[in-house]
Amino acid sequence: MEIRLENFSKSFGPVKVIEDMDLTIGDCEMVALLGPSGCGKTTTLYAVCGIHRVTSGRIWFGDKDVTDLPPQKKNVGVVFQSFALYPHLSVFENIAFPLRIRKDGSAEIERLVKEMAGVLHMEELLDRRPGQLSGGQQQRVALARALVRQPDVLLMDEPLANLDAGLRLEMRSEIRRIQRENGCTSILVTHDQVEAMSMCDRIALMNDGKIQQIGTPDEMYQQPRNRFVAGFIGNPPISFCDGVIQDHRFVTEGLDFDLPDRFEAASITAGQKVTIGVRPEYVRPEFAVPIEGEITFVESQGREVLYDLTLAGGKVFRSIQGGGPKFKIGENVRWGIDIGATFFFDERGNRI
Amino acid sequence: MGDRKTNWPLTVFLLIVSAPILIMYLWLFIDSISEINVESIWPKEFTLRNWRFLVQDIPGHGSVWTATRNTTIFAASVVTIVVALSSTAGYALSRLKFPYRAQFLGFVLLLHSFPSVTLIISLFLMLRMVGLYDTLIGVILVKAALELPFGIWIMKGFYDTVPWEIEMAGLQDGASRFQVWHKLVLPQIMPGIAALAIFSFMAGWSEFVLPLILAPSSEARLLSVYLAGLMIDDYLSDFGLFKAVGLFYVVPVMIFYLFTQDKLMNIYGGGTKG
Amino acid sequence: MRGRRSLLPVWFMLPASVAVTVFFVIPVFMTFVFSFTSMSSDTGILGNRYIVTEATIRELTERGVDADLVKRLGSRVFAFDQAGLAAVGKSGLKPPVVKEIEEKLAGAVFGSEKELFAALKSLKNRPRSFRDRKAVSKAVVNTIVNREFRTATGFRAGLASINVEVDDATFDRLLGLVNTSWSWTTKNYVELLASDFTLKILANTMFYVFFTLIFNVGFALVLALATFYMPSGQSKFFRAVWLIPRISPSVIYVMLWKWFTFDSGFMSYFLGTFGVAPENWLNEYPWTFVIFANGFVGASMGMIIFASAVLAIPRDVLHAAEVDGAYPWQQVRRVILPMMAWPILFVTSYQTLSLLTSFEYILLLTDGGPGFFTTETWALNAYHTALSNYYGNLRYGFGATLAVVLVVVGIALSLLYLRLFDFKALVAEPPIES
Repeated sequence: MEIRLENFSKSFGPVKVIEDMDLTIGDCEMVALLGPSGCGKTTTLYAVCGIHRVTSGRIWFGDKDVTDLPPQKKNVGVVFQSFALYPHLSVFENIAFPLRIRKDGSAEIERLVKEMAGVLHMEELLDRRPGQLSGGQQQRVALARALVRQPDVLLMDEPLANLDAGLRLEMRSEIRRIQRENGCTSILVTHDQVEAMSMCDRIALMNDGKIQQIGTPDEMYQQPRNRFVAGFIGNPPISFCDGVIQDHRFVTEGLDFDLPDRFEAASITAGQKVTIGVRPEYVRPEFAVPIEGEITFVESQGREVLYDLTLAGGKVFRSIQGGGPKFKIGENVRWGIDIGATFFFDERGNRI
Repeated sequence: MGDRKTNWPLTVFLLIVSAPILIMYLWLFIDSISEINVESIWPKEFTLRNWRFLVQDIPGHGSVWTATRNTTIFAASVVTIVVALSSTAGYALSRLKFPYRAQFLGFVLLLHSFPSVTLIISLFLMLRMVGLYDTLIGVILVKAALELPFGIWIMKGFYDTVPWEIEMAGLQDGASRFQVWHKLVLPQIMPGIAALAIFSFMAGWSEFVLPLILAPSSEARLLSVYLAGLMIDDYLSDFGLFKAVGLFYVVPVMIFYLFTQDKLMNIYGGGTKG
Repeated sequence: MRGRRSLLPVWFMLPASVAVTVFFVIPVFMTFVFSFTSMSSDTGILGNRYIVTEATIRELTERGVDADLVKRLGSRVFAFDQAGLAAVGKSGLKPPVVKEIEEKLAGAVFGSEKELFAALKSLKNRPRSFRDRKAVSKAVVNTIVNREFRTATGFRAGLASINVEVDDATFDRLLGLVNTSWSWTTKNYVELLASDFTLKILANTMFYVFFTLIFNVGFALVLALATFYMPSGQSKFFRAVWLIPRISPSVIYVMLWKWFTFDSGFMSYFLGTFGVAPENWLNEYPWTFVIFANGFVGASMGMIIFASAVLAIPRDVLHAAEVDGAYPWQQVRRVILPMMAWPILFVTSYQTLSLLTSFEYILLLTDGGPGFFTTETWALNAYHTALSNYYGNLRYGFGATLAVVLVVVGIALSLLYLRLFDFKALVAEPPIES
């Protein structure tokens, strides 16, 4: 089932949280709503499932307009950040709850719940209460409850945020597996880019109530549309450096290089202020355009080492290099950057 | 659910069931300053005649000012005793280590839920035996003692919320346990003491059964007993007068209520919880 | 460790402990003690009281005391001893009369008023009017009828004053028979079990507690849930309104109900606009308004507790119920109410206890009436029996027996609450060890 948001806006009183958002999620696709906290991703999710009313715009499930339907009338499964299990009901009854509300027959309920428990490997937990379960088990119950009635759409609000690191890794692939097996269109809300990139087909990166870019994880990383996207995606993060265009050159204190050939005079003008963004893996001794500076920070991450290179003018470039710590703090080095992989942004942050 | 709209049927329903309360208290005010109309509940004309009790005694019922003075003394004494004894005992139960502490706590909790009004008969007999019957001091002591388990329990709850680290730091800085209590902990729970004081004052101000039974004579009479006396007097059946006296009596409580509503909500609801 | 133990806990616990012991714990114990006595306003509450009354005299005859002795106990002796003469001096008679009596009758003793009057008539300055003669009689009369003696010695002196000499055995027997002070007895409990009124007040109490509870808890739930689903301004308003009865002094609150149901009050006026004749509705439907008045007060407590319990339910759980297809009514029934089982149990049992034992509102509203025992509940009956009734004989002992039942119920239910609390967590040992 395809989900389509058209000109969707949402305000709380005078506060506009989402403005004119358009988003289409294809059938069986899993899309992440990624963004910093307060960017409106959970609000969007709540609007899709109907907990929040839509201020303006339309929401479509396939060719059905569901904008004004209350949550009870949308066939949507939701996994909440806190899991929101019913503490007074057993695991079985928790999973059965949507079916009981739907007034399914008890034999049918029994069959569906057992089947779901099988998919999630939790047959032996059915008699327990939520309070007796570990975080990962609660997560599975929440997932089972969301999926048991074959929802048109599966929505997940930070489903891994309340789990510890090991479980998070395990559940990442588990959720993806179950979503594939079920084949239902899904939206995952998260602030964790690794989660978004590893679990989803596409990512919609949001900031300030607007979608900044939609694309596959690779597109987002390789071809960020603007400075925000480039800065948000990627870990360790990209380094930015402000400068000015002079004679088809990028100039700033301590750095000065010819613009690559792909820039024609039309797209970039002399005197224009630009910001370049260089990912740490493109700042290394072997690259051509030279940068000179002092190493001001070294952090060993085991397999790789992270350096901060501070230029004469105070600009800092981050570099990640393999093969153990070869440089020390205070050392002056002359490294290079890969101009082919460098992003250029105009004053408003859009990529040139 | 995030943004609730007015659900008119629900609001209207609640308005209807709340109507008796609203009407009763509205007319408490209206009738106290109007000439009672026999055919209708709507007031006939403005009058201050109902307030004559302020300047002249109602025959057979004594002065309202004596009763007011007694009630003030009564409520203030109850507040003083309850706050003083609860803030010390509550601290001991919350923070100090001493033998049978758990038993003391269990006992306070038991008395806290025990219905003290069942003791009224033996309290009456005991006060008569020791000669405190029909004295203000006797009924003050009884009321304060009966409020104590509640007060101790509430104060213990407030002390429990003060971080232990404050006390530990105080001890490391060389203060004695008493100084820690007096200089460090007590200032933290001032809101709690204020809440308990307000609550005890209102409980004392409103008390009816204890003074009715233990201090009925006119020298020790409280406003509650005074007003109840007016109402059962067959020669008076003047709701205008009753309401004026009633309003005179309830005004301090209402003022307190307006300014301390949230605090009281907490203590009325939370006071009975753990 | 020993040296470090401070006396602070003692000083902090002592005042409160003393106050609670004297005015709370001892009264609990004394209620049991009083229930085994025959104390009443007739017997007084202090020690022995020896009184011979007309009724005692009749009773003594029935008990087989020597008829002659009984007759003499009731007799009057008119003696012009020192005390008698002094009394005559103060009786207001003319000085010559007094003087002659002092001269001629000193030491005289008469066995009856008739003889006394005869002797007075023989005087020169005799008291002329019947009133004067009566005054002399009153001044010199000795009798023990209706006289209260506190000690056995006093009683013996009293007997001597009417010239009754008895041997020790008879005296002791007499002393026992005329002692009207209270005594130890189990009769109160027998009476409690045998009395028809017991059943009546028990039934009244059950009726009252059951229906008030339904009103109380039901309304508390409705208010808490309704205000939960409302805009916050409205819910604040309604909660404040429902708390007013709770904070008003009971006397005022009940006065307002009396006015509301009075034949010139609001109900009569309101129903009058539909053509219903005015009535004193409280007299007409006493139980209804007893339950209403108590219910409107009690609902606020449950309302506050339930409202905070609803707020304590995580928002996500309610959202989950919503997307799982549950409408508000289904959310309430299947999610909210089951999750509030504990607060509901708590409020219900707390209210049960306070309704069983309190009588303030009924006392003020109907005083157990109208008529005989119509709205008389157990607690109110205990109060009436011991402290206030129409007959004038206040039966402290029997009232205490009625109160014992309430005290026992109170202790039992309070203990039950102790179980409901997480007691171990409450009494966790303090981490500072001195």
